[in-house]
Amino acid sequence: MSPEQTSLLQGTLDLLILRSLVAGEMHGLGISRRIEQVTGGTFVVKPGSLFPALHRMDEEGWISSFWGDSENNRRAKFYRLTKPGRNQLELETKRWGRISWAIAQALGTS
Amino acid sequence: MPLFVKARSFLRNLFLSRRVEADLDQEVHSHLELLIAENIRAGMPPQEAQRAARIELGGVEQIKEEVREQRLGNWLRSVPSDCRYGLRQLRKNPGATAVMVFTLALAIGVTTAVFSVVYGVLLRPLPYTESSSIMAVYEVNSKGTWSRVADPNFDDFRDQNRSFQAIAKYNDNTASVSGTSQPTRTTVASVSPDFLKVFGVQPILGRDFNAGDAKKGASPAVLVSYGYWKQYLGSSRDLSRSHLKIDGAVYSVIGVLPAGFGFPADVNLWLPADLDGENPSRTAHNYSAVGRLRDGVTVELAIRDISAIARRIHDTSSEQSEYLLKDGIVVPLQDSITGKARPALLILLGAVGFLLLVACANVANLLLAQASVRDRELAIRSALGAARGRLIRQFLTEAFLLSLVGGGLGVLAAFWGVAGLVGLAPQNLPRLDSISISIPVLVFAFLLSTAVAAGLGVFTAARATSGDLRKGLVEGGRGQAGSQGSQRVGRAIVAAQIAITLVLVVGAGLLGRSLMKVLEVNPGFRVDKIVTMDVSLPWVEDPKAKAVQAIFFSNLMDRLNQIPGVRKVGATSVLPLVEGGLPDGMFLLMTQNEIPKTMDGFGALFQQKERIGNADFCVASGGFFQVLGIPLVRGRIFDLRDGADSPHVAVISESLARDRWPNQDPIGHTIEFGNMDGDLRLLTIVGIVGDVHEYGLDAPPRPTVYVNLFQRPRAAITVTMLSDADTRLVASAARGILQDLNPEIPARFRTFSQVYSASLGSRRFDVILIGFFGITALLLATAGVFGVMAYSVSRRTREIGVRVALGAGSGDVLKMILSQGLRTIFIGVAIGIAGSLVLTRTLESLLFGVTATDPLTFGGVTLLLVGAALLACYIPARRATKVDPMLALRYE
Repeated sequence: MSPEQTSLLQGTLDLLILRSLVAGEMHGLGISRRIEQVTGGTFVVKPGSLFPALHRMDEEGWISSFWGDSENNRRAKFYRLTKPGRNQLELETKRWGRISWAIAQALGTS
Repeated sequence: MPLFVKARSFLRNLFLSRRVEADLDQEVHSHLELLIAENIRAGMPPQEAQRAARIELGGVEQIKEEVREQRLGNWLRSVPSDCRYGLRQLRKNPGATAVMVFTLALAIGVTTAVFSVVYGVLLRPLPYTESSSIMAVYEVNSKGTWSRVADPNFDDFRDQNRSFQAIAKYNDNTASVSGTSQPTRTTVASVSPDFLKVFGVQPILGRDFNAGDAKKGASPAVLVSYGYWKQYLGSSRDLSRSHLKIDGAVYSVIGVLPAGFGFPADVNLWLPADLDGENPSRTAHNYSAVGRLRDGVTVELAIRDISAIARRIHDTSSEQSEYLLKDGIVVPLQDSITGKARPALLILLGAVGFLLLVACANVANLLLAQASVRDRELAIRSALGAARGRLIRQFLTEAFLLSLVGGGLGVLAAFWGVAGLVGLAPQNLPRLDSISISIPVLVFAFLLSTAVAAGLGVFTAARATSGDLRKGLVEGGRGQAGSQGSQRVGRAIVAAQIAITLVLVVGAGLLGRSLMKVLEVNPGFRVDKIVTMDVSLPWVEDPKAKAVQAIFFSNLMDRLNQIPGVRKVGATSVLPLVEGGLPDGMFLLMTQNEIPKTMDGFGALFQQKERIGNADFCVASGGFFQVLGIPLVRGRIFDLRDGADSPHVAVISESLARDRWPNQDPIGHTIEFGNMDGDLRLLTIVGIVGDVHEYGLDAPPRPTVYVNLFQRPRAAITVTMLSDADTRLVASAARGILQDLNPEIPARFRTFSQVYSASLGSRRFDVILIGFFGITALLLATAGVFGVMAYSVSRRTREIGVRVALGAGSGDVLKMILSQGLRTIFIGVAIGIAGSLVLTRTLESLLFGVTATDPLTFGGVTLLLVGAALLACYIPARRATKVDPMLALRYE
């Protein structure tokens, strides 16, 4: 693990997964690569964290899953955002905004 | 609809688990495929691509297990497999499992049995509608003690209170009842008309009392219990011809009460009180009182209400004396019935709780020893992806299996135990008949087992899964991993066991010594070789009728005296040591020409302190003193001189002579004690007899005035016969004589030893139970010490081998092991003594002749416990000295 890769904060993984699904349905590896890409390689989501998170959110009803074909015609399980998921994303985004603003404030004034 | 989604997921996980699993497997594999494809696209050779993909993916099984852990209802899914695995684990060590199940069954069984007694007596609601609003009402006298109510005071309570929807007075006494198939001595209650309304009970047949039935001179009516109706009245639905002759008067049966109603205890017949009119005295406490609160009235409000009325009576009454009420009090009837039994029962429950703790400690130690052998198994499961939560659940499951099996067996044992407890319980324990294994008791047993399981499971799981589990793999096979820590915990448990056991055994010791001290008390009378016979004739008021009864008793006793083997016959109103005891009251010192003409005149005399005395009032024949061996100190006892028409005489007890006539000879003085039996003739003191422990061996003797049965006859007496012959022969001969004289009079026979023994019933019950708990705890704790020491020695075999190889002698090894054990024992004993000093104070009310910190008991129990524990250490220590260094070293 390179020193620049940061371990994920509690709850952040959910937010990142939900956010990456806004663009459309995606399979697990796709989500993982997408997160890597948009965070500039800061966050690397290992399958050991990704799958439990996906399944938990599936059971919560935030995302739904179906089997489909990948870009290379391989069978893969795809995930898509549901309506409760969008609400959750909104909630999490707001929360995250508050936290990051607060931390930025704290760091800025010190 | 998140809830709906969750429910669907939950059900899917539960019922379609195979499909969910297959789906997961497929997903992980497709992920791997995608990774490989990605790598190949990036230009890797296929083999390299696959390797890199596998590394990135990580352990397939771990991932799957992580996902499973996240699933809803996951815990449920693992229950069957955990159970299967747990059972296999328990079967692997059948010996240890049997010991644990047995220990738990014993502890849970005994605890359940004791709880069923506590529940039946103290907690189970009385069997009446809304029984929590039924209250007992008492007067409070100037000394602060509670007493029953006097008629005029009750009338004021009834008429002036605003708290009760119904209030009634009652008392009970034994009467001879005939007119049915056979004459019987039956407990009858005299009650005021609202009695049944207080209990919310209505006759199932016939009618309740009405105001007319209770009026002076009304035609006598009686209510009968369901059982009495079935047994003696042939369940006849036509009551118009049912009549009972109770104490000589004929009563018409007007109603039958529902099955199960029996208040006061053992009563089968209820008569209206006051058929002969009320007693006008405000200090004659002849009745108990009960009332049903109005809706919304609290006990506090009722107390304030009754208290105000009582104080008003006190302030306005002309009968000012220490017997006049000063205040009034209201308590729930249930507390009033069971209040006396409460402290001892709660102490028993606490003691059995301690036993349970000691037993659980043993089981915890066994589980701990097993868990430390399972280090490797845990390490492997953990490496395969089992989360800590999963492993904890495994331990919990095993603990639950153990506890539920143990608890189930325990409840079975409790059925048997309750029967034993009820048989052993003192006969004066209230509500004995409501003790059983009922639903609430079963719920208690289940909750108890669950709590035990949770405690044991969490404890072992926390111990076994603390630290880095995977270390077990690294150190695998050494068999020493983590043993230091778990042994320390094991020793702490044993120390706690010793401490708790010490408290229990000290408690048992104190109670046992109290019982011995009580048995050492010289009661003031002989106990053995005495047959007693309770006889009651119909209650009469008329002096002539009373004289006839006296002649009857005289004839009876003369005839009884001729039974072969009977040496002496006497009679008394109340035997010593019998529940209830003698009535007490105030007497006056006065001479013949001072007798006042009016009741008010007496009232004035009672105001003169130098004239009054206080004593128990006992009616007896001269033979009574000889039969019981009560020594004559001075003067004489009753004899043939004291006929019905001669001057009435009295014999007083030594303590009364000492206290009332200090530095004087009471013989020859005359006293007035007519308020006890309505006969105002003066009594001349003719003799002084030894003190008698009348109220029980553990109660001090009370000052007593004895009057002559043949001058002051009464209807109900107990005849005492001193005899060398077999008691059964004497009893049957006596029964024959009574039949011969009057076949309508029932009698009850006992030996005085039975009475004596029954009076020690509660004390014996407590000693037996707490003694049993103490001994069981002692055995368990000794086993605990042995287990921990033996385990420790077996773990240290290699170390001991090295020491021996390096030159340690067997004495050194013995010393090393023993000193390790001793440290644990002494810590336990120290905590135990400190705990006992605090906890035995709760026993104080049950102790007699010893203090709660009796040094002899504390010392003896400590020695016993240390001795037993040392023995338990010595056996493993001996084994340690036999360790062969070569074998021990090769052991690796």
